Amino acid sequence: MKRLTNLPTLRVNPQSPIPFHYKNETWFGLDGDSLATALFANKVRIFARSLKYHRPRGLYSLDGECSNTMMEVDGIPNVRTETTLLKERNTIREQNVKGSATHDFLGVMDRLDWCMPAGFYYKCMHKPAKVWPLAMKVVRRAAGLGRLDPELELTATYDELYPGTDVCVIGGGPAGMCAALEAADQGLRVIILEARPWLGGFFDYRAAVSAQDQPLYQRSKDLAAKVQEKDNIRVFLQTSMVGAYADNLITAFQEGGPGDCFEQRYIEIRAKSVVVATGCRERPLLFENNERPGVMQIGCAHRLARTYGLLPGEQAVFSVGHDLGLEAAVDLFDLGLDVQAVADCRDEGQDANLVQALQDRKITFYPGWVAQEALGRPTVNRVRISSIDGTVTREFFCDLLVASAGLTPVTEPLGLVRSRFEFDQHTGYFLPVDYPTGMFPAGRIWGLNNSGSIEASGRLAGLHAAAACGVECNQELRAAEQAMHSLPGAQAGSKVVTAPVSGRKSFICFDEDVSVKNIKQALAQGFDVPELIKRFSSAGTGPGQGGIPGHNLPFLVAKLKAEPFAQLRPTTVRPPLVPVLMATYAGTTHEMTKRTPIHDIQVREGGVFRRAGVWMRARYFSPDLDVGPEVENVRTNVGMLDASTLGNFRIHGPDAHKALQRVYVGDMSRILPGRIKYSAMCNHDGCVIDDGVIWQVGENDYMFTTSTGRAGATIEWIRYHTRYEDWEFHLVNLTDGIGVINLAGPKAREALEKVSEADVSNQAFPFAHWRDFTVTGGVPVRAMRLGFVGELSYELHVAASFMPAVWEMLAQAGREMGIKPYGVEVQNVLRMEKGHVILGQESEQRTNLLDLGLGLLWSRDKEITPVGADALKQAEKDQNRLKLVGIQMEKNDHIPGDGCVIVDDRVIGYIGTIRQSRTLGAVVGMALVEGPYAREGNRLAVYENECQGELQYGAVTKMPFYDPTGERMKL
Amino acid sequence: MAFMITCPICGRRNGYEFRYGGEDKGPYPWGQELSPRQWVDHVHMNSCTTGMQKEWWYHRDGCGTWFTIFRDTVTNVEVENPEAQK
Repeated sequence: MKRLTNLPTLRVNPQSPIPFHYKNETWFGLDGDSLATALFANKVRIFARSLKYHRPRGLYSLDGECSNTMMEVDGIPNVRTETTLLKERNTIREQNVKGSATHDFLGVMDRLDWCMPAGFYYKCMHKPAKVWPLAMKVVRRAAGLGRLDPELELTATYDELYPGTDVCVIGGGPAGMCAALEAADQGLRVIILEARPWLGGFFDYRAAVSAQDQPLYQRSKDLAAKVQEKDNIRVFLQTSMVGAYADNLITAFQEGGPGDCFEQRYIEIRAKSVVVATGCRERPLLFENNERPGVMQIGCAHRLARTYGLLPGEQAVFSVGHDLGLEAAVDLFDLGLDVQAVADCRDEGQDANLVQALQDRKITFYPGWVAQEALGRPTVNRVRISSIDGTVTREFFCDLLVASAGLTPVTEPLGLVRSRFEFDQHTGYFLPVDYPTGMFPAGRIWGLNNSGSIEASGRLAGLHAAAACGVECNQELRAAEQAMHSLPGAQAGSKVVTAPVSGRKSFICFDEDVSVKNIKQALAQGFDVPELIKRFSSAGTGPGQGGIPGHNLPFLVAKLKAEPFAQLRPTTVRPPLVPVLMATYAGTTHEMTKRTPIHDIQVREGGVFRRAGVWMRARYFSPDLDVGPEVENVRTNVGMLDASTLGNFRIHGPDAHKALQRVYVGDMSRILPGRIKYSAMCNHDGCVIDDGVIWQVGENDYMFTTSTGRAGATIEWIRYHTRYEDWEFHLVNLTDGIGVINLAGPKAREALEKVSEADVSNQAFPFAHWRDFTVTGGVPVRAMRLGFVGELSYELHVAASFMPAVWEMLAQAGREMGIKPYGVEVQNVLRMEKGHVILGQESEQRTNLLDLGLGLLWSRDKEITPVGADALKQAEKDQNRLKLVGIQMEKNDHIPGDGCVIVDDRVIGYIGTIRQSRTLGAVVGMALVEGPYAREGNRLAVYENECQGELQYGAVTKMPFYDPTGERMKL
Repeated sequence: MAFMITCPICGRRNGYEFRYGGEDKGPYPWGQELSPRQWVDHVHMNSCTTGMQKEWWYHRDGCGTWFTIFRDTVTNVEVENPEAQK
């Protein structure tokens, strides 16, 4: 199709063709085209079929206000082609059609509208119940627009950005640009969010003359140039605002351009103040077949020509409600469009110059007339217009009907933050009467139409926004307010909603195929307010996010109920305001983990790693998944484990011991020098949240360990439970600064003696004690004798920077004793054989201290009651609580999974950890079962997922399974 | 949370930096023989006020202080201490 190339408003580059694929052929668009305009340039008029009735649909708004032109692009369904820029080798496919958009076999649905009244979804598809599964399959296939291929993988980058700013301006049109310039002149940082690929808004494509005596497009280019010059204004183009939240938090969604490293980007902005300059959209005129391809809004027709160089049709009829329509008719006539007639639903009040211009061009003008029906199928070929009262009609041949009832403000951004609107009789708009502090609407949203007024309104809002940021600009504010008074105010707007027709095929919502007739049906069934009608009829609930029904819905409802418009409010809006890819909200996957100081060494030694919370830890070092030999080595020789991830804390200060008393159930008042105290922390429910060891290093100076998973929350926890006290203590989180090696096995002492001169005999350094000494090279080490895995073991705490050296020196020293590294899974088996619990494995949120058999840790009579004591006192009385028991399976050939439930006539417990124990030659584990079932020898039935009812059996066994007297730990 | 919170040490910061710590119910009644009802009322029951509420927040991504603010639960933004306005 030949393009108009001589236009100064052109935003496409005729020298730069871009190939794309459509219907198995290669076609060409221009650089700057959207997908929709590229298709239109190639004579495509029918883009898709509607949801319910499969009516043919084409370009209507050119802003993606409806799903008319949603198509599948590069495998992604439901792409809004009007707002997506054409990229090389895009592959475009039609969706929701059986056949093609031009010849859709499901087009017959259009004749069945009589059996799909409003609410038929709810009412007809439930009887008889037997039919429903079949009906559901059929309906499901017919429902929706695009089809998502489950194999589709998005490989592009989806980025995110969190810029801070002083002023955020939503909308890069004249008002927005003026507001931004004003705020920037006051020295503030400004961000502009503009949905289109260029600044300019509704000045961008218009040759009408501005207040400064230039064509508007020139004026907006000048403003845009000024904006680009300013260092402190940051412009985001192709960025749609999608959400607004408390304290001026704005979220937006940006499409990547050819030079960008992302496909789409999520932007979250915390602004001190916000200017809302989102302008207006057109209110669709409701008449029969008002969504036929060939029916377009004024802005769509005008911009196709002026922005993209495409004449929207050959022979046109206009049915408008605003001077913009008259201006477009005149301009398009001058560009070569044959304008048959211009109907204006307003009886009077038109711009006299424009009426004159129509006369000069011999275009018949019909004030007080409106389009009644668009005829022709699948595209418009005739139109019937009529007087507003419907008594006189005229018909015209045409392939383009430019139809619009008037303008309406884009109120959604303000609606998101619960602004209040009131219907204004003069403009016919919902004007904002109450909106959050720090938010300032500007421009056409107030009903302004004069170019000077719009800019002045922007400047005023920019100054208000600056003042809200604390800038002293009272003088400028007063001057701006005065300037506004001397300029034309809000213009009278049309309040016409429908043509005088029955409304059976007058569509109020294009996305959901809801007609005026459906609205009448909803009203007849008792749904009498717009919010209810919206949901019952589904008008406004489609991908267009309500842009087409918009304010027409409350207006139509008021009209049908013969109620004054003054009671009306716009319907509720929620984010996102435009459809957003889930991939953009998900963002890029950042695989981030923490590593211990000897991570690389363990990799070299053959460690197999898995995430444990925020860390990467070695699970085991066995090459073939059989950890048996690794376990045996610890029981027979000596092994070393990296336990650096353990929480490690210092607490000191005159009241440090009080804080410890508050959070630990044990008595911290008498920790003997050189001794380790083992204790647990509970929450107010008495449920165990952590266990660890505590020791005293000096006066009012203690240290303690926590489990890996709780390290991050420990300081928060202790401060929380002491927040009402004025105790003086300080907490230091040393987790990342201290490396820990767990040296365990009967030969552990031998290995340790080879690296240290200290006396580590059992007499000098007994079980449950700690000692400070140095190892080879003078490296200071704090050794703690604990018994987690049930063997003689030393937990060696060293400064993180010394970890690799100490690990290597032990590896060497222990070589003749057969030292080998062991991993977390191996430790899991070892400690399980010893009957030691791991929180989160044997316990869950509801497991309390007594369930785990740790009641001895609880010191009941200490002065400072610990958190959880009251709950434990209550829980003691309950005999039916779960109890920790050992379980030994009857058969050795299969190990049920951790977490399997134990059943009787109902679930009576669960398995915590269960493993094949080489040491014992049986399948043993730790489980929790209800009190009455916890008797030794009791037979338990285990239910494993998908066992098809075949239970496995075991018996309650005494614990610990291994070394019950605990001799080996105390060697 | 989208709204901003004023930390007594760090000033007004993004709500996402903080963790919510519940309504202010006053100090836990230590050492008193609580009936189960009294205990559950303090530990688990919330008054769920419509309107202004005094509540605890922890500056997780900052100084690590526990402090209270007043928040209007209807508009879901921090409000000034009502005493301060008098």
